Amino acid sequence: MDLELSREDIEFRDGLREVFTREVPEEVRRRNALSRTTRDDIVASQRILNAHGLAVPHWPVEWGGKEWTPTQSHIYASELQRNSVPQPLAFNVSMIGPIIAEFGSEEQKRQFLPATANLDIWWSQGFSEPEAGSDLASLRTTARRDGDSYVLNGQKTWTTLGQYGDWMFVLARTDPDAPRKQQGLSFLLLDMTTPGIERRPIDLVDGSDEVNEFFFDNVRVPAENLVGEENQGWSYAKFLLGNERNGIAQIGTSQRVFADLAETAADIPTETGALADDPQFRTSMHSARTTLLALEATQLRVTGASENGQASPVSSLLKMEGTKALQELSKLRMHASAEDGMLLDAGGPGEDPLRADDAAVVAAAQYLNQRKLSIFGGSNEIQRGVIAKTILGL
Amino acid sequence: MNLDFNEDQKLLFDTVDSAVGRGYPAGGRAEATSSELGWDEGVWKTLAELGLAGLTISGEHGGADAGPVEVYATLEALGKHAAAEPLLDGVFLPSWLIAGLGTEEQAEQFLPALAEGATTIAVAHAEPGRPWGSAPSVTASRSGDGSVVLTGVKSPVRHADQASTLLVTAVEGGTTGVYVVDAGAAGIARTDGRSADWSHASQVEFAGTPATPLAAAGVDATTVLHTAFARARVAVLAETVGLMESALAHTVEYLKNRKQFGVPLATFQALVHRASDLYARVELARSMALWATATVEAADGGAGVDLAAIADDAFVFVGDAATAVAEEAVQLHGGIGMTYEAEVAHHAARLTAITESFGGIAAARRRAVASESALRVPSALLNNA
Ligand SMILES: Cc1cc2nc3c(=O)[nH]c(=O)nc-3n(C[C@H](O)[C@H](O)[C@H](O)COP(=O)(O)OP(=O)(O)OC[C@H]3O[C@@H](n4cnc5c(N)ncnc54)[C@H](O)[C@@H]3O)c2cc1C
Repeated sequence: MDLELSREDIEFRDGLREVFTREVPEEVRRRNALSRTTRDDIVASQRILNAHGLAVPHWPVEWGGKEWTPTQSHIYASELQRNSVPQPLAFNVSMIGPIIAEFGSEEQKRQFLPATANLDIWWSQGFSEPEAGSDLASLRTTARRDGDSYVLNGQKTWTTLGQYGDWMFVLARTDPDAPRKQQGLSFLLLDMTTPGIERRPIDLVDGSDEVNEFFFDNVRVPAENLVGEENQGWSYAKFLLGNERNGIAQIGTSQRVFADLAETAADIPTETGALADDPQFRTSMHSARTTLLALEATQLRVTGASENGQASPVSSLLKMEGTKALQELSKLRMHASAEDGMLLDAGGPGEDPLRADDAAVVAAAQYLNQRKLSIFGGSNEIQRGVIAKTILGL
Repeated sequence: MNLDFNEDQKLLFDTVDSAVGRGYPAGGRAEATSSELGWDEGVWKTLAELGLAGLTISGEHGGADAGPVEVYATLEALGKHAAAEPLLDGVFLPSWLIAGLGTEEQAEQFLPALAEGATTIAVAHAEPGRPWGSAPSVTASRSGDGSVVLTGVKSPVRHADQASTLLVTAVEGGTTGVYVVDAGAAGIARTDGRSADWSHASQVEFAGTPATPLAAAGVDATTVLHTAFARARVAVLAETVGLMESALAHTVEYLKNRKQFGVPLATFQALVHRASDLYARVELARSMALWATATVEAADGGAGVDLAAIADDAFVFVGDAATAVAEEAVQLHGGIGMTYEAEVAHHAARLTAITESFGGIAAARRRAVASESALRVPSALLNNA
């Protein structure tokens, strides 16, 4: 066994840190740490990474991929998170990019991949519907073939950052008569300027406006914007869900939150001293600390395991336990400032709210926002089901 | 960076796994723990023939001079079968104390016999009503001719009934030391019982019992003692992982086979999801135990790591998982899970005893929480701050 990075890996890591901290502006990273990242921050950050060949390292080489070792991929994901660099937009780099690279036509690859890597196109994910959440395959949006286009009707919801979306990848039903609900779905690329699309923002409990619903009324999608084969959409969607392994547990993010909290705890007063000396706080932090060690060790164990686009069954464990750990830390952060963190968004419209930069004030909103981590990307209950079925044989 | 067994270590695990598996057919542990010996003589012999009793002993003294990963592989395989053979308590731990504290003569006297599996030695440190980390209340006193006698009580002393020799911690003039006592020495009163895991344990009273200091000149017993206990706290986690994995496997089988309301229990999602949660805990605990083992290995290679702190962190994390697995495995078996005949009851009992071993999980947590490392940013890699 060996608990050290090799010299080459350290050089690799230091090279990444150099780009992440020198090139990505400090204020962009600071806003990201406070969950106040703007659209422009995400675009700027991804373009800087792309200019350094660091936006799409896990794509095929001919489209900008790097063929890194598993250890290097792990270091990359971890350093992005530890340094609060806005992640390259997942819809672009982890979802649609790899799908087009694997299943798309040559024309689609040329048209979309470079622009997707550089975030010249902002993609949205059009999967979920009001009646199709965990049971995604039951979705009802239809795409009827009419001449050389598909005609889209229905509704998508929960579309993250859809307000910025130039294009959306949509899973829609092309064969309503297919014997199984997973059959008869197709994967379409939709230009959001097409007539017939209506967007309504959804207000979230933390006050953020990150999700939307979309209504399609006879929206025409040119047939050449079908990815792969008609009625094979479900297998492409599954490929996508199995794509993300590194970074899924968000250990680097948790390490950063832990570090911030451990540092500020010395300055947060309690009735008897500083929070850093409070036994209850220390016990919780110790528990978070050991959990993160176990998670990172687990990540290191699976990092080396075979990588063939298949989700390792352990991905379910990492996703579930990693996001639980991050949620737990955000709760600790909120408890640390208690009532003092509760004056959210004070100030007039268009003005910067009071103490917008104060981690204490951001904590409550972050805590509420992070409830999503155990709901999307396969909820914890769905992950338990996957573990039971694929690992335990139950 | 790598947390996997190498080929030899894999082979070692497989060898121990199949050897112990043959010796422990279903229900084998109950038979072994009810025997006079407290473990299975045949299995012990096999382990000795495989050279496993000499794992932690230097080649010079007839051992294999193996590292923490070999210890891990061996103990995980034992745990998988809930085996009762006292390799850790009766051989590894005393071997660390003897190698760390003893004179060359003492090493010669004890280590080759331990390495052969010809004898076991009991470490007597726990005392009634006294925290593990405090100085012992057993005293050593020296008379004019230099001879030493011990006075006081140790309890529980694991496997004292079979041990040829006891290593007893005691205080002499304010200094903690380790003393060698012959099991048949005058002035020893032993009352035998069993531990929560059905292994044998005793209360041992010393009344002017002749003893010899386990000491080479100038060696600080406290440091060696704490290091040996830290190693033991990490080593026992390997057995814990084996036990947890096996308890979960039994539970999963039971959910598939046991029918109530006309259907298998596995039909009930509430139960299935609890099994999935256990799986997650066991895997995280396994990672933690492997990581702690790799850290001990790095320390042996000269890396500057705080062994005691790492042992506490790992013991707390894996111990919490052990408690959860023990409780859930019994609960999901229903009444049968509480019987001496049920294998899973032995897993639960042994897991329970482990969480209270070497001072116990509560003390480990207290130390960890009070230590400055509690607020240190966690990083599993040693050179990736
Ligand atoms: C903030 C946020 C952003 C999102 N962004 C996007 C996006 O950009 N694009 C997109 O397509 N989707 C997005 N989603 C949607 C997300 O994928 C769904 O929320 C998710 O699939 C769960 O579906 P649901 O919300 O309908 O819950 P449901 O599926 O209705 O689940 C409700 C509860 O029942 C549980 N449950 C469901 N099925 C089972 C079962 N078989 N066994 C046991 N328990 C079960 C769930 O775990 C949950 O606790 C987003 C969601 C959120 C919250």
